[in-house]
Amino acid sequence: MSAAAIELKDLNKSFGLARIIRGVDLSIGRGERHAIIGPNGAGKSTLFNLITGKYRPSSGSVHLAGTDISRLNPYQINRMGLSRSFQITNIFPKMTVFENIRCGLLYSMGYKYSFWHLVDRQPKLTERADEILEQINLTDRRHLIAGVLTYAEQRALEIGITIAGGADIVMLDEPTAGMSASETDYIVDLIRQVTEGKTLVIVEHDMGVVFNLADRISVLVYGEIIESDAPEKVRASEKVQEAYLGVAEEEAD
Amino acid sequence: MSAVSDAEAARRGKSGLFSLAKTAPWFIAAVLLICLPLVFNSGAGFTVMNQMAITIIFALAYNMLLGQGGMLSFGHAVYMGLGGFFCVHLMNMVEYDGLMLPLPLLPLFGGLFGLLFAFIIGSFSTRRAGTVFAMISLGVGELIASLSIIVVAFFGGEEGVSGDRTMGPEVAGFDFAQQSEVYYLTAAWLFISALAMFLYSRTPIGRISNAVRDNEERAEFLGYSQRYVRWISFCASGFFAGIAGGLFAINFEILTEENLNLATSGSILLITFLGGVGFFLGPVIGAIVFTLLQTVLSLYTEIWALYVGLLFVLTVMFFPSGLAGVIAIHVRPWQLGKIGLLAAPYLKMIVPAALFVFSCAAVLEILFHARHAALGEEEMWLYGLTINSQGVWPLTIAIAIAVVSLIILKRLAPSLKEAWDEANHQETGS
Repeated sequence: MSAAAIELKDLNKSFGLARIIRGVDLSIGRGERHAIIGPNGAGKSTLFNLITGKYRPSSGSVHLAGTDISRLNPYQINRMGLSRSFQITNIFPKMTVFENIRCGLLYSMGYKYSFWHLVDRQPKLTERADEILEQINLTDRRHLIAGVLTYAEQRALEIGITIAGGADIVMLDEPTAGMSASETDYIVDLIRQVTEGKTLVIVEHDMGVVFNLADRISVLVYGEIIESDAPEKVRASEKVQEAYLGVAEEEAD
Repeated sequence: MSAVSDAEAARRGKSGLFSLAKTAPWFIAAVLLICLPLVFNSGAGFTVMNQMAITIIFALAYNMLLGQGGMLSFGHAVYMGLGGFFCVHLMNMVEYDGLMLPLPLLPLFGGLFGLLFAFIIGSFSTRRAGTVFAMISLGVGELIASLSIIVVAFFGGEEGVSGDRTMGPEVAGFDFAQQSEVYYLTAAWLFISALAMFLYSRTPIGRISNAVRDNEERAEFLGYSQRYVRWISFCASGFFAGIAGGLFAINFEILTEENLNLATSGSILLITFLGGVGFFLGPVIGAIVFTLLQTVLSLYTEIWALYVGLLFVLTVMFFPSGLAGVIAIHVRPWQLGKIGLLAAPYLKMIVPAALFVFSCAAVLEILFHARHAALGEEEMWLYGLTINSQGVWPLTIAIAIAVVSLIILKRLAPSLKEAWDEANHQETGS
């Protein structure tokens, strides 16, 4: 184990006067399944967007396997082996399911900006895309336009696109949001299966999913990490009960 | 459907680089291009066909931006125009400075100049998509068009720059003085360019250009810089627009400010939209229809541009996917083997529809003549009749025919709708 997969050092982000992320320090080891939880508005998605380069930090830094990536663009970070999904389903709705996956593969398979290959004549590319379709159980949806898939299928497709590039670090933003219990189980199994051996960072509301999937949980409240530990310990922590689970109960009322 | 067979072919790996289903349309197109002059062998025929071919290349190039890349440009005439201006200057260098450049290669240089300027201007205009890109394209378009009047040394001011295509070295005995020779030169470039643009849409960069159009954020997180993807598409589009410009220079032997200005940029947008941005063949259809209207209709009426405008507005309102889209919605009935069901209602409607169109046109023509003809000139020709444009009766009759035919069309509409639903209905279990 050399450098951690992801390391956040005194990370801050303000929008105007609002300090959304306040001095976050976090280290996520290789192969770890790390969940970030917290009440609404705690800054989970902002933290996600800071790590993936969508936002630039106001101060502090983000390191990927020891390299500072705080000033890089999303595509550069992606090329370093970090891939993400989005809270709102983010696929290519007008393309077929197959083409969605193929787009996820192009860069990592070395095609980059090529204008001298014909995509339909690359057997390896097609083969690999079909393998991923098989993995996410969408083989029979191969020729459908992605926009017509069911919500759960679109989420599965998004996970497929996210892992297609072979990234070692996979970040999923609320992958089960808005799903029924059975759909959730299905997606959780899928995530477990396709992220085997990879570093997984997941933002999630569903506590069942979190405790089921994660090796370690960080609790984010008002832009600060108040606890970062194994699931049982987080569940037992009084601080967390007070700050987060208490809030959740209030919300439920 | 074709996606299925493509994928199957790809899975088999080596099969069919020249599969029949995919090469047949290109083969037919080539034969058509070769044989067209046998039918339309008049001077006017060649003029129209040459113009059509040039417009098709330009429209296809434009659709690389609009349809493939989702970039709405209001200034794409710049790249065709600049390509053309440089080609005229090259032609003059051939004539006066003894430059040994065979004419058939000239459009390639037009393309390279189009590429060069797309590279320079694209470096800043493609940073952002959407409105920002559209506004920059508009600004740059206006800038270059104004420059063309100011920098007389290069653009020739209001008269433009002219040249002579026949002064170069003969190629295989052709000196390109004949229009038919220019036609075959243009047709060859059309075929090559269209094929290249089609294949481009099948390359990784072509596919990612679609991806950036649909969802730029997702594309970024797949390792692609949206900016570079747009920039590359922009350069490719500029290249083919420049080829069109080179062919324009060869065909007309003159370029003026008009080739760079907003009106030209606007009409290529109109042509592409009219044909349908979502289809590869859309711009081709748009260019053919537009050129026909422009050249043929303008022989008969002064207000042809009004009809083109109306056609454009109606197409955008009722068939947003363009004329190609109108054809495409018939594919399903065709595949279901029910296209025949539509024949009867279409036939029934064609006469009242034609009456409606022609009577509406008559109203416009009579009003136009009444307002714009010289004082005392009351007679006008319309559909082979001599009528008095100041009189009440011709207008009344035209309006009456329009109203009656519209009522008949309304009456027939339900039966068409019924036939349409039936033709698109797939029996369960089949």
